[in-house]
Amino acid sequence: MNAYKFLADGAVSPFAGFRWPVGAWVEAGSADVCRLGIHACRIGDLPFWLGPELWEIELDGDVVAHTRKVVAPRGRLVRRVEAWNEAARQDFGASVLRRTRTRFGAVAVLGGYVGDIERHLATGRVPLAAFAAARAAERAGGPIEYERERSRQAAWLADRLSLGTD
Amino acid sequence: MRLDQELTCAQVVEIVTAYLEDALGAADRERVEEHLVFCDGCSTYLGQMRETIALTRRLEPEHIPSRLQDELLAAFRGWSPA
Repeated sequence: MNAYKFLADGAVSPFAGFRWPVGAWVEAGSADVCRLGIHACRIGDLPFWLGPELWEIELDGDVVAHTRKVVAPRGRLVRRVEAWNEAARQDFGASVLRRTRTRFGAVAVLGGYVGDIERHLATGRVPLAAFAAARAAERAGGPIEYERERSRQAAWLADRLSLGTD
Repeated sequence: MRLDQELTCAQVVEIVTAYLEDALGAADRERVEEHLVFCDGCSTYLGQMRETIALTRRLEPEHIPSRLQDELLAAFRGWSPA
């Protein structure tokens, strides 16, 4: 299956520090969630793992589906999603801010999240802004609203970046 | 992450060694990593810890001044769990 993977600048894995080659298969040996294996995102997982570079990755072997990720014993980077650039990051942040302001800007307590998101975006902290938007939704309607806000963020990414569906 | 799964920065700092030693279960490891995605402070802290560990690994006993070695040994001998 094909999935997506956020990496740090230079195609470096943000947690393991592994520098990914492009096009070559990387073998992890097995797929053990959060321990071993090639970890990647379905579209719905993307908002939780935002990073500087977005890549499409081909996974092979027995792919294990987890709540927020998929894990496979081997994978290879297929292409970088060039559309995930600074302009897209800013637009994504703006969409998150706009939705939160519309939904909660006038609501006591929750309105504070709008200012938080503005501050995070002003300092380029888009992942934190997206998290704050989900948290505002959760405060308003419980955990299901957290997940719904994340789903809206994922839908925005899929549409703007022309990503394939899960 | 959702409120019911959230880790504070203080909690991340507390368990960062376990994270680096791969001693956390999958769920806790994911909670830490989800926090790291949006928390620059904890990401920086984790990077500093990794750098410290890498530098310390390169140290040989002869790199440590004898006085400091004595002080460290005394501190370790005098240490007891709280």
